[in-house]
Amino acid sequence: MKLLRGVYEGPQSYGILRLAASIRGVHALLRALPGEAYFRTLYAARERTGEMAPVTLSPLREGPDDSMAPGNLARDISGVVRRHPKTEIVILARSEASLLSEESIPVTEAEGTGRPPELVTFSWESSGMRETEAAELALEDLIRARMHDRPQRSPYPTVNLFGPPIFGPDAAAEYAEAERLLDMIGVEVNARVPLGANVGDLGRLSRAWANVLLYREIGESATLYLQDELGMPRVTTPMIGAAGTGAVLRSVGELCQLDPKSVQRTIWAELACTAKLPWYARLEPPETFQDRRVAIFGDFTYPLGLGYALAREVGLEITACGTYLTHLERDFLFHAHTFTEGAFVEDDPDEVAARIEAAKPDLLIGTHLEEGVADSLGVPFLPLCPPVIDRPFVERPLVGYAGSSVLADALDSVLQRTREEPAGEAGMQWTDGALQEAAEVPLFLRGRARRRAEERARQQGSREVTREIFLESRS
Amino acid sequence: MTILNESGIPDVLPPLHAVNGLAERLPDVLVVVVGTQADAHLVQCLPAVPSPNLPRSRRNPRVIFAVIDPGDPPQQGLLASRIVESAAGLHGTKLVLLVAGRTAGSLGVDAAFEARLVARKLDLPAEVVNPDAPRMVPGVLSTDLEDSVLATLVNLCPKRRTSDLVETASPAKRGGLFGGLLGRGIEASQSKDSRPVVLLGGALSPGAARMLAAEFSRARVEVAGAVPGLRIGELPPLGEGTVVAVMDPNLTSAATAAERRGATVVRTLMPVGVDGTARFVQDVAEEAGTRTSEVVRARSAWEDLGVLRNRIRGKRIFFTGDTGLEIPLARFLADAGAVVLEVGAPRLDRRFLAAELQALGPDVDIVVSPDYRGQTNRIDETRPDVVICSPGLHLPLVARGHLCRSPRDFLEAGLYGYGGARRILELLVLTMQRAETLDSLNL
Repeated sequence: MKLLRGVYEGPQSYGILRLAASIRGVHALLRALPGEAYFRTLYAARERTGEMAPVTLSPLREGPDDSMAPGNLARDISGVVRRHPKTEIVILARSEASLLSEESIPVTEAEGTGRPPELVTFSWESSGMRETEAAELALEDLIRARMHDRPQRSPYPTVNLFGPPIFGPDAAAEYAEAERLLDMIGVEVNARVPLGANVGDLGRLSRAWANVLLYREIGESATLYLQDELGMPRVTTPMIGAAGTGAVLRSVGELCQLDPKSVQRTIWAELACTAKLPWYARLEPPETFQDRRVAIFGDFTYPLGLGYALAREVGLEITACGTYLTHLERDFLFHAHTFTEGAFVEDDPDEVAARIEAAKPDLLIGTHLEEGVADSLGVPFLPLCPPVIDRPFVERPLVGYAGSSVLADALDSVLQRTREEPAGEAGMQWTDGALQEAAEVPLFLRGRARRRAEERARQQGSREVTREIFLESRS
Repeated sequence: MTILNESGIPDVLPPLHAVNGLAERLPDVLVVVVGTQADAHLVQCLPAVPSPNLPRSRRNPRVIFAVIDPGDPPQQGLLASRIVESAAGLHGTKLVLLVAGRTAGSLGVDAAFEARLVARKLDLPAEVVNPDAPRMVPGVLSTDLEDSVLATLVNLCPKRRTSDLVETASPAKRGGLFGGLLGRGIEASQSKDSRPVVLLGGALSPGAARMLAAEFSRARVEVAGAVPGLRIGELPPLGEGTVVAVMDPNLTSAATAAERRGATVVRTLMPVGVDGTARFVQDVAEEAGTRTSEVVRARSAWEDLGVLRNRIRGKRIFFTGDTGLEIPLARFLADAGAVVLEVGAPRLDRRFLAAELQALGPDVDIVVSPDYRGQTNRIDETRPDVVICSPGLHLPLVARGHLCRSPRDFLEAGLYGYGGARRILELLVLTMQRAETLDSLNL
């Protein structure tokens, strides 16, 4: 048991629903308490397309057979089939309450017949699992379920893009940028998975020559399965920053037997026009980046990709780089240690705040939960790692060359601003009593509390912050 | 009025979302959500006052999640000691609320025991609130947690001192009895005693109780306080001899809790709209021992609303149902001349809402546990002027070309009292005006 002030990931059912809502032709039936069904509301508010989420609730209730109201699972499944005739796959997702109630899930006629719609259930669902891992496994299961025909490799080079599911920050733009770059080197995208795919695409994955992982968290098992089953090679380098993007394009070129010179020409052309991060790094005087410390926290792809790019291409010092994905701990630490000493894995926001505070960053890049930490430390903040809650109407990618320019803009704005900030006033003295009180304030509020106490002390003309002043400033 | 039961799945925001709103509203309460990752995620994703766009909400340091790993349920007492540790950093905590629903129960957490332990160690009241508590009438309203929390607060109110009771006991009883038997009892007005009135409700609109207290003071009735009030330390005495005026139609458990403590809960209309407020003030005053007539005031309030009513008259309004507030709102709007096409009620406690249902016009249909897909189809067919709907349906309906508002918009604007009646109409008129302006643009 943990006492937390926030969570980075949702439960496993949420991951499955995110995945299901990303693929057209998939409808999810969520077995849950009536009070657990918030996905539809979130979907409407985050996507803002006006479409209803392809999710139906099968409420967990006493005596479901007493009336014809929803609640009987078999009947609810046929209800979904009847109401959504275009559905090709019905997924059964179970909420924590359903998993904990240990109800048995009856096998229905729809299962395993191969006739549309196909019912996919997940035997690995367990109440302790988290969103990302569940989405990853669910994607693999969905692909396995559609591997009937296995069409031949396409006559011209194509790849599958494995990217983030819905609610990923700027997810659609990430796919679009990757597709634009691949198109420029002469490789067509066979399918975008999961966002933007339809059920038919899942069955045609074998046409591609290779799989490109934009978001390894979700595509890992599926691409490993395709590698084992069909011998499809995969490219796993994060496509973040100019160097990362170049590496991906070169690997794809190699796997698709393209002329390396022509790939390189495209890369140079892009570097000249679109990719502004190397240009920014050259334009700015070295002092801008010298001894500037950055802390990064997020999922897997983004902290690693950003860590590489900021450490190598920009020359910032990465003093902390962490992930909340505990199931990817070994992989993450292995990669992160190549550019930082401060790699860590942690899923408690308070502990994360403590690690970040200890790293004394000048810039913090993280999820929406780190905003308070940055505020408390008084350092600039960039919400570049999922989960984020901003939903801009215009999406801006972080991958590819266009993404590197977005990153350059973001860095330019925050590094500039801190440089212009006046130096803080001389440090104020704190009495022991006041320090003791401050130590009890939750970490993510501590910096703000300190600033307010010092302000109060200044107002009162005191040279030091006493326990009384501190308590007054908090009331 | 017709009541149909559709036996469908209503689109209702999970009651647990209210945790953020309650923590903001009650600044001296520490809320601990006990459950799985799912519960914590839900509370974090849905902000305090969910508008259709779900704006970002600041993390509230007074909301803590006790996330239990199903593979490793905690030992008894561990939860309590962790809560005690976290409470140390938060100044001015007056109450610890453990929100423990069904998942906490099935993971073997004895929340009541942990709460007792917390209470003993911190020397503060600590209570358990169950958002999934079974209710007499089936169905889920998005405001259920507020109801349960208010029921808990009612139980935390100090009991009235015995000396007070002795002073007022016998006349109060007589007044109450005759009041109950004779409806608008004349006897009651003659009795000199006045019983304290406690307002119950308005959990999400902080100014509500103050507005109504002003109405009561105009009627020479003193309001002893409100639950939830502004701070836990200021809860009014509530018990035998207290008159409890329920402001919200969803507060069945809280009202029952007050009755169990021996208070008289006035069964009347909710103070929404002109007639609702008038009946509310009149009936509560009467129960409290003051005879008053709101007829003149109600008439002048209606007259004041003349211009706004002209704008509303004949407009067709559809309520999908989410908070439970829809029924009094529909009653008022129907009285004001609007055509109410349908009122969705995810749960309908007919006994508790008897007065409201009686006052509802003859042309209003109530659909109990409506199916959101059925409702969407009916909305498409009937094309109402305004749909008052839950956040889940808002965007899909706007995308289909309907004009939507959330019942919470009315709560935020302050819908109680005579002033509230005006604000309700103004909000609707503004909504329609803006839609007209946008429609007239040549894009």
